[in-house]
Amino acid sequence: MIEVRDAVKKFDGFAALDGTTLTVPAGSVYGLVGPNGAGKSTLIRHLTGIYRQDSGEVTIGGEQVWENAALKARIAAIPDDWYFFMQSTVRDMMRFYKGFYPSFSMERYEKLKEVFNIDEKRAIRRLSKGMQKQVAFWLALSCMPDYLVLDEPVDGLDPVMRRQVWSLVMGDVAQRGTTVLVSSHNLRELEDVCDHVGIMDHGRVLLERSLAQLQDNMVKLQVVFRDGVNEVPPELPVLHASRVGRIHTLIMRMNAEEATDRLAAYDPLLVDAVPLTLEEIFIYELGGADYAVKDIVL
Amino acid sequence: MISLNYRDSRPIYEQIKDGLRKLIVTGAMAPDEKLPSVRALATQLSINPNTIQRAYNELEGEGYIYSVPGKGSFASGNMDADAARRKELLTRVRELVTELRYLGVTDEELLAILKEEDKT
Repeated sequence: MIEVRDAVKKFDGFAALDGTTLTVPAGSVYGLVGPNGAGKSTLIRHLTGIYRQDSGEVTIGGEQVWENAALKARIAAIPDDWYFFMQSTVRDMMRFYKGFYPSFSMERYEKLKEVFNIDEKRAIRRLSKGMQKQVAFWLALSCMPDYLVLDEPVDGLDPVMRRQVWSLVMGDVAQRGTTVLVSSHNLRELEDVCDHVGIMDHGRVLLERSLAQLQDNMVKLQVVFRDGVNEVPPELPVLHASRVGRIHTLIMRMNAEEATDRLAAYDPLLVDAVPLTLEEIFIYELGGADYAVKDIVL
Repeated sequence: MISLNYRDSRPIYEQIKDGLRKLIVTGAMAPDEKLPSVRALATQLSINPNTIQRAYNELEGEGYIYSVPGKGSFASGNMDADAARRKELLTRVRELVTELRYLGVTDEELLAILKEEDKT
């Protein structure tokens, strides 16, 4: 279990983390989302023991992360800007990783060589950005980590490689119960791989739920009212409403059944409940937090 | 065997549910045949294993599959008709009938379809 309690981190007076609280249950895949500059990468650097929080707690499996080598040997991370030595080949970096991770498995490394199909004698700096990312996954997965922390992990990977990489990670989650925390802007993809989601903004976690809860607690309805009802009845708790012709699109914070029942009272001509995608949930949840696409014409 | 449509507005677990249900109902999956393990399906589809587990649990609740601890999940042989599913399908039929009537299809034609189904 990864736990962050009221973490605060300031850089020159700017609070990148401003009382962040987050819980990642063991064996889950947690998607961390949020607008640019929300503090996701800063939080991830605390989880991997690179930064030390000014106040609050950052623990993994009940232990403090900071300066805890034994714990960090069980965490593999792929940061946004993955580090490798300038002249090193894949094999050199493998030896470097092996030195830090007692659980490093050569058997896995050899198996994954077939998957990624990259010549291990090539200098990493001569590989393309996407291939460097593949090397990062290759080495991170070879470490047999209990915790996997990924910052924008599939950026720069081609569609086949993305699925390949997720398939490997999901296999690890199912088989070994690896706990995964992943930050990404690709919500479509997170919807497939995550079971928990946290939305971060301004250094705080605004909301964190299991994906099942998120999807069951918000619904999009398309409604056509009978003649005479032109406005959405004001007593309905509507989060967001829009209208095209006679069709009203309503976003409501309740499950589909409850919403349909409440609308049935108005005897509408048509009610159609559509589940929301994670992308829509993200937009509507943050819409309340003064964050939306602004209509600016240039 | 199961394909996911990323443009589909249905959540992933529902797509998996519908896919498996179709296989069982059409007989593509024989009674007592073993379903793929959660892990196999998770790697094959690159989908979170908990999502697949949720689909399996709900199918089990509806009676389409049963699970044997330590062995996995299996397609149910004799289907106890599930009330909720029945209601859902009947609503869909009603919607279709409304539209067909609007298009001028007569009741006789609709009844003929029902009779056809009976024979097969």
